Amino acid sequence: MRRPTAVAAVLAVGVTVGPGLAACGSNQSSAGAKPTLTWYINPDGGGSDPTKKGQAQIAKECTDAAGGRYAIRVQLLPNSASDQRQQLLRRLAAKDSGIDLMSIDPVFVAEFAEAGFLAPVPRNMVAGFTKDTVNAAIEASKWKGSLVAVPFWANTQLLWYRKSVAKAAGLDMSKPVTWEQLITAGRTQKKTIGVQASRYEGYVVWLNALIAGAGGKILLNPGATADRVKLGLDTPAGKAASTVIQQVARTGVGGPALSSTTETEALNLFSNSATSGFLVNWPYTWAALPTNGVKFIDDIGWAKYPETVAGKPSAPPFGGIELGVGAFSAHPDLAYDAATCIASPEHQKLYMLGTGNPAANKTVYDDPAILKQLPMAALIRQSLEDAAPRPSSQYYGDISTGLQREFSPPNAVNPRTTPAAATDLITSVLKGNALL
Amino acid sequence: MTSLAEDAGHEASPQAHRARKAALSDRARAERALGWRLAGPAFVIMLAVTAYPILNALWLSLFNYRLTDPNARSFVLLQNYVVILTDGLWWTAVGITVAITLITVVVEFVLGMALAMVMNKIVIPRRTLRTVILVPYAIITVVSAFAWKYAFAVDSGFANHWLHTLTFGAFPLTYDWFGGTWSSLAIICLSEIWKTTPFMSLLLLAGLAQVDSALDEAAKVDGATFWQRLYKVTLPNMKAAIMVALLFRTLDAFRIFDNVFIMTGGSQNTSTVSLVAYNQTISRAEIGMGSAVSVLLFLIVVGICVVFVKAFKVDLAQVKGD
Amino acid sequence: MESNLSTRDKTWLGLAAIPIIIYSIIPIIWMLSLSLKPSGDLADGKFFPRHVSWTNYALILTGGAKDLFLPALANSVVVCLSATVISVVLATFAAYAIARLDFPGKKLILTTALAVSIFPVISLVTPIYNLWRAIGLFDTQIGLIIPYLSLTLPISIWTLSAFFKQIPWEMEQAAQVDGATSWQAFRKVIIPLATPGVFTTAIISFFIAWNDFVFAISLTSERARTVPAALAFFTGASQFEQPTGAICAAAVIVTIPVVVLVLFFQRRIVAGLTSGAVKG
Repeated sequence: MRRPTAVAAVLAVGVTVGPGLAACGSNQSSAGAKPTLTWYINPDGGGSDPTKKGQAQIAKECTDAAGGRYAIRVQLLPNSASDQRQQLLRRLAAKDSGIDLMSIDPVFVAEFAEAGFLAPVPRNMVAGFTKDTVNAAIEASKWKGSLVAVPFWANTQLLWYRKSVAKAAGLDMSKPVTWEQLITAGRTQKKTIGVQASRYEGYVVWLNALIAGAGGKILLNPGATADRVKLGLDTPAGKAASTVIQQVARTGVGGPALSSTTETEALNLFSNSATSGFLVNWPYTWAALPTNGVKFIDDIGWAKYPETVAGKPSAPPFGGIELGVGAFSAHPDLAYDAATCIASPEHQKLYMLGTGNPAANKTVYDDPAILKQLPMAALIRQSLEDAAPRPSSQYYGDISTGLQREFSPPNAVNPRTTPAAATDLITSVLKGNALL
Repeated sequence: MTSLAEDAGHEASPQAHRARKAALSDRARAERALGWRLAGPAFVIMLAVTAYPILNALWLSLFNYRLTDPNARSFVLLQNYVVILTDGLWWTAVGITVAITLITVVVEFVLGMALAMVMNKIVIPRRTLRTVILVPYAIITVVSAFAWKYAFAVDSGFANHWLHTLTFGAFPLTYDWFGGTWSSLAIICLSEIWKTTPFMSLLLLAGLAQVDSALDEAAKVDGATFWQRLYKVTLPNMKAAIMVALLFRTLDAFRIFDNVFIMTGGSQNTSTVSLVAYNQTISRAEIGMGSAVSVLLFLIVVGICVVFVKAFKVDLAQVKGD
Repeated sequence: MESNLSTRDKTWLGLAAIPIIIYSIIPIIWMLSLSLKPSGDLADGKFFPRHVSWTNYALILTGGAKDLFLPALANSVVVCLSATVISVVLATFAAYAIARLDFPGKKLILTTALAVSIFPVISLVTPIYNLWRAIGLFDTQIGLIIPYLSLTLPISIWTLSAFFKQIPWEMEQAAQVDGATSWQAFRKVIIPLATPGVFTTAIISFFIAWNDFVFAISLTSERARTVPAALAFFTGASQFEQPTGAICAAAVIVTIPVVVLVLFFQRRIVAGLTSGAVKG
């Protein structure tokens, strides 16, 4: 009964004293219990170093901007997304109160939200978090209609190509190209297309983009319980997607080791000056090409993700990071406050310049500094607006692993049987009748 | 010891006999007390750490329990086991695991024995050789798996280049080792053998060092050949060490995980039983099913142990006689 | 150890050592090579690096990853050495009792040891994690040493039991006939004979603890993290680039103290029986 007034009193003091303290810089440690918010971040090349323009730097800047109300401390998570999920899941299932903020991969949002691991977004903050944000990022941060996470940055894939190869193949890259055209070009010119078809999440990214580009969806009823899940794999869209994969594998344009190709191998294929032709990969490629010793940077162009079906606009893949607030955190209100600062357009711009990870906020792309560093910024923004997120489901882990299993290896993909087999496997697994 | 006391008791009076018997059982009791005092701490620690988790896993295997949905937990008794035992993936995984185990253990035993014999007798360069042989075992497993994967990858690896050169161009430069079941297994086994042969050779070396060389010399004097000496003198005298080496190596080989996870992730039908357990427990967060897979894996490995101990007829607990 | 080998035998053995050393070393040199390659060269398919670059070592020893790597190295050493020492001491006592003394429950101990070590660790971690969180052992070195004991004790007990079993019974009997107590017999006769077994067990236990990943990544956070777990946190220039060079550099550095350890102890493994002690 007494607490609300006490809290109000503290806040009032904080609000009046805060600005004064902020003027003194951040070397205060007055009034003992300034809460420290722990932000679990995915490694982003900036590591835990607050000067490397990664999340650690944003944490420091937002601590300074908080004016003494709280401090943000970063904690690293492992490098791979599935390890990150493991760590967070284990802690959250044990109701760890030490998790205030976390950087979540979009595909885990549904699982965490359904399990009750995310503190609800204050209703008055929803508009602020979604203002000027690309639709895909908003969609990926929602669960059952309401916003449960804060869009931070958004990733998508582009089609990178050798201008000389495209010209020799007679492709007009100023217009949308289809996968079929690329495969034919690769086959006739004896050049490679770098894709991701190893047995890992990146393969599902490709598959989802193919299906969405054909107008289909992997999951028809997001939010359904396990026994009611309906998949849209065994449809014309699914068959079209499988055909693309089959063609890439059969013609050999995917490289000699297609079944072990991840982003790195795809980039390596593209860096081989003798055989490189096309590549679908995330924008980190632009910064990584010079590091790989690529000498033909002038010959490299970029275009929107290829279409699955001629005439239907492609749906580029969607990735990125959403910020989640732990449901058992002691200070969810402060955490959302911090999230506002972290995901602000200024910080998204800083992050994009520092790590190359594209912002979720559309206004950032107009900034001249961004355009200078990333000449393809406009294309990234366009792609993000058309991007299709992967299925939103609390069972995403099962769906993804099931897809990876049935569609591996890529040269065994058969449009007539694989989509149906995948549907059967996943529905059995979800019903508890099969092993994954 | 018993025989001494018995012999002594024959000639004494009944009273002295009884006294000696009492002293004997005192001694026996003291021995028992000492035995438990010595072995107790180890026993207690082993149990204390794992009893609760193992029982917990056994209990959970009877449920349908997803970590992210604890309210939907339901008791299904043996349904999980039925699902596992009727699933094709399980039997494929068991088959692959058995294949990997057989291949690696046999190769490692032969190789390990050869290495142990060399290490035992070598003069120059003794220290270097013994250290170098043990180094693979010291490399962190995950890094070793990565290194082997990279070595045989088409783009970043040197293995294809070397093989191409060694076979004068017959071997294709773009051979995809990880594109098929048996070629992937070959690399997985190679990596596993390279990494854990030192374990085998270490145990065998220590066992070899205990074999009395006088016996070997005597056999040589009697005109036995190298192989005869090996089979009739050396190996039988190392039986206990061989059993421990083979047993533990088999148990570890059956539970292979790191190499498979990093090199193929289970694709090309190279799933092993541990990988299946991992997929259920971690990827799906299905604790119930994952625990059931673990229990089944445990039971299979227990079966292997029983077979080993019975086949070797070495009773480590037997004290008197051999 | 007598080496009354002919010069011819010695030469053959010396020659046999060469392919053995090569076979053991090639993957390690490959790792070294990967750690010295600049990241752009990782895909060039060459065994030796074309340009040697020390950036990976700089990164983990003095640069961005040093706060991740150096404490992890210290933790690994402390945790693994502690687990090894405790495990060897306890196992020596237990193995002596099992091999030499008569008391009920010996088979039970051996069986329990086996059962405990073969249960898949992946199903054990979550309960231990929850337990450790409840009693405050999460992210402590002790919280890691205790589960490691469950990994190392079983094989230590079995190995040492095997060794004690192979030591001739007559030696201890002789000592006892000479008037020594069980303890003195143990200390002055058995321990020197058991040295090869003890050092073998120590090395094996150390490496089992050294290589463990599952416990390390689940039961630690920043304070008690060991090297295998820390490797999972290494990151490349972006989240899509594998930090292969840095990981290999870390593995190379981490192997050096271990090699020194082995170099020091390898003599003890074979410093065993002389025929005189058995017969005499």
